[in-house]
Amino acid sequence: MRALRVLLGAAGVGLGLWGLWLMRDFTREQLTSEAFWLAGGVIVHDAILAPVVVAIGYGASRMLPGHFRRSTATAFLIWGTLSIAFLPVLSGQGGKPGNDTILGKPYVLGWAVMTLMLVTYAVAVALWRRNRTATARAS
Amino acid sequence: MRLPTVADIERRIPRPEDFESRARGTALTARVGSALGACFLVCFATGMWSHFQYSTPGWLTLSPNPTQLYRWTQGLHIVSGTAAIPLLLVKLWSVFPRLFIRPTTGKRALLIEALERGSIAALMGSTLFMLASGTLNIIGWYPWEFSFRRTHEAVAWVAIGSLLVHIAVKLPVIRQGLGESIEHPEEELEGSAPTRRSVLNAAFAASGLAVLLTAGQTVPLLRKVSAFSIRPGDGPQDLPVNRTAAGAGADKTALDPAWRLEVVAGDQTVSLTRDQLLAMPQRTHRLPIACVEGWSRSAVWTGVAVRDIIALVGGKPDADVTVGSLQTKGAFGSSLIVGNVVEDRRTLLALELNGETLDVDHGYPARLIAPNRPGVFQTKWVTTMTVKA
Repeated sequence: MRALRVLLGAAGVGLGLWGLWLMRDFTREQLTSEAFWLAGGVIVHDAILAPVVVAIGYGASRMLPGHFRRSTATAFLIWGTLSIAFLPVLSGQGGKPGNDTILGKPYVLGWAVMTLMLVTYAVAVALWRRNRTATARAS
Repeated sequence: MRLPTVADIERRIPRPEDFESRARGTALTARVGSALGACFLVCFATGMWSHFQYSTPGWLTLSPNPTQLYRWTQGLHIVSGTAAIPLLLVKLWSVFPRLFIRPTTGKRALLIEALERGSIAALMGSTLFMLASGTLNIIGWYPWEFSFRRTHEAVAWVAIGSLLVHIAVKLPVIRQGLGESIEHPEEELEGSAPTRRSVLNAAFAASGLAVLLTAGQTVPLLRKVSAFSIRPGDGPQDLPVNRTAAGAGADKTALDPAWRLEVVAGDQTVSLTRDQLLAMPQRTHRLPIACVEGWSRSAVWTGVAVRDIIALVGGKPDADVTVGSLQTKGAFGSSLIVGNVVEDRRTLLALELNGETLDVDHGYPARLIAPNRPGVFQTKWVTTMTVKA
């Protein structure tokens, strides 16, 4: 196990250094832009996205009725991660002039439908759970 | 009023134990992380395979078989990368409280901790970079100053390297986490809160949905389901277009009746009109266009085998051939066809697509189509064919 870990670690350092070596002829402008994007991801996640998600979780766990909590968390996880994954096509950016074979779907409509379906899921499962606990109590 | 001291500020910063969700923990992190690691390995391997196609090293000869290989590997590259996005976000969520662990005391311990945190920063920065730059490249949006292809390749090595270091550091914790049950111990269960199981299921569901909702651009069965695919799958003659004739600056020259195909070998040159090409033996094959951006589509192509054309100037059937395009704008205006691909009779200078004369956006008057070849090398608006000595 120890040998495996040392081997993995050494291989990892070697591969990482190879990646840096491949950047040796990048211009200063390219490297600055690359560094901006490398650091940007970490900062946007740790300073904005993660605290916002924690705050939403904090609020939801206090405001939502109990039987809503789990299904809402599930729907929110799916909705949030997919919205981020689809951010590029939702941005309206990109594409190529005079080429309508790229980015040719109504993405915002698709996103609205997806949102609606996930809200429906969260509510339906929550109500089903409430009924089930009510039935269990009654019997 | 006194100013807050460092200790006051420190008290305000949350501690790992302040985070409430009981779903977090090694049992969840190890499972999501393993799935994520598998996605990254597939994505890395298929990505490097693609880089090989773009700049083939001398020691590697790529075969035209299996015909659909590049379609599969590049489709898998985009699918595994897309599947990784929800997994990475859930993985980061599950370990976020660890960001607030206070530094240890003691020089040696502090150094080790700094190194470990550094490797995690490299891993996080590089993986987020890979997924962000990859998804933006797919839609053709480049809000940066670096070269996409070279930087996406270099950072991939940093990402896979820091992933291996991370696995080396965490191996005992990973084993422990995978050994723990995903179900909570009875006493920990708080009736209605999200559980490790519910978060894990949701993460896998999100990952699967991300794939289903985008993969229709390469999996024909999913075309209707994939509401977020970049290529809806339609286009002139039922095939999407990456670069239009106008976009390539070839729209006027391509339709010029004076167009000729110049076939050159040493000091021999033959000049062919489109009608002369049509009079040569025609072959019809079903071959895919497989783009680096992860979309692919099979189509039926009719044209003349490249080896038949170069035979007119005495070129050997397995000679290396360079094809040049009328294209005046953008990269990949010419491409090299290696001997073993030229030799394959399915390597065509196509004149027809799906039974009709090629659309100008698909490369009229003539385009290259060969099996197992990245889309950018399926040169359109071909005007020269040079046999290498």
